[in-house]
Amino acid sequence: MAEAAPIVARKNDPALNGRLYVKAVFSGFTRGQRNQNETSSILKLDGVFNKNDAQWYVGKRVVYVYKAHNKKNVPGAAPSRVRCIWGRVTRSHGNTGSVRAKFHKNLPATALGQRIRVMLYPSNI
Amino acid sequence: SQMAGAKKATPRFRRNYELATGVMRFSAARLYHKRGVALCKKTKIAKKAVAPTAKFVTKKVGGSKNGGERKVLASKGAVYLKEDHVLDKPAKVARNPKVQTLRKNITPGTVLIILAGKHKGKRVVFLKQLEKTGLLLVTGPHKLNNVPLRRIAQSFVIATSTKVDVSGVKIPETLTDAYFKRTHTKVEKKGEQANIFASGHQDYKVSEQRKTDQKLVDKAVLASIKKHPEHKFLRGYFCTRFSIRKNQAPHNMIF
Repeated sequence: MAEAAPIVARKNDPALNGRLYVKAVFSGFTRGQRNQNETSSILKLDGVFNKNDAQWYVGKRVVYVYKAHNKKNVPGAAPSRVRCIWGRVTRSHGNTGSVRAKFHKNLPATALGQRIRVMLYPSNI
Repeated sequence: SQMAGAKKATPRFRRNYELATGVMRFSAARLYHKRGVALCKKTKIAKKAVAPTAKFVTKKVGGSKNGGERKVLASKGAVYLKEDHVLDKPAKVARNPKVQTLRKNITPGTVLIILAGKHKGKRVVFLKQLEKTGLLLVTGPHKLNNVPLRRIAQSFVIATSTKVDVSGVKIPETLTDAYFKRTHTKVEKKGEQANIFASGHQDYKVSEQRKTDQKLVDKAVLASIKKHPEHKFLRGYFCTRFSIRKNQAPHNMIF
């Protein structure tokens, strides 16, 4: 009789992880009509449509995740092609739920229109 | 003064020099000491033996019920003006960082959602706030979601309104910050290593002490969960993870 495959306890299965961040899109840098300020990014959050709601997200950490060609070392894990730029939501932007964020390094222009993750921490609830 | 054959010294002022007409940098008295003349003198002053004076003096006190005597300070210290107490400030400022105050909705027994780290999304039971660091001590319970007795910072946690009664849970006194503090074991690097992070550390091994403490605490916590009016759902609640689904926005959610 063939040996049964070892049953891995599901409670530790990383695949069961769900999304613990709010989806957002990097819609551009703060700007006037003809000049832009790359140090401050504007993010459009999923499901947030007014200034009051956007205020909830102020202070939350934000990360732009992207892939590159070369592998880089990751502490505690195998070297990977995934890279990220971290930042924080600094304030709300406008009346329709957009938000401003500042990153440790300014976002690259290739990130325009790309997904940005707004984490739920530092939490206040 | 240069010795014969010495290297050319960098130019410097004479020991005493004129600042302005008739005004020397150092007075005669000052220069006396600078020259070390006093030290060379042969006359030695004998140290006077100082008789130790008593700090307290007993004085007679009147009144039949006053004990008859009082110990009074022989010399009272100087009385400083209120303004001069500013000088009492120590040179180094003592850092006593306050431990972060617990959010009002986090009480022992509250179910928390962990937002980051290995156990992100898991729901755990809050036990107590540790004194030294202010971190929250939580437990899975381990049987339900593999979260051991662990510390978490308040910022990385959402407090739900679900509460478990942990008044009956006796948390061992040994569970302090020192108990949970990480101990770094230095491993000798042997030759070339592809990834120093992968093979440089020894794998963490759970100590027996931790296992016994875990069993002790979890037994009581699991019993409390069973007693909960909604225990049928609670068990599944602890076993599943929290995640944001489609059309769910945390700013609109009541946890």
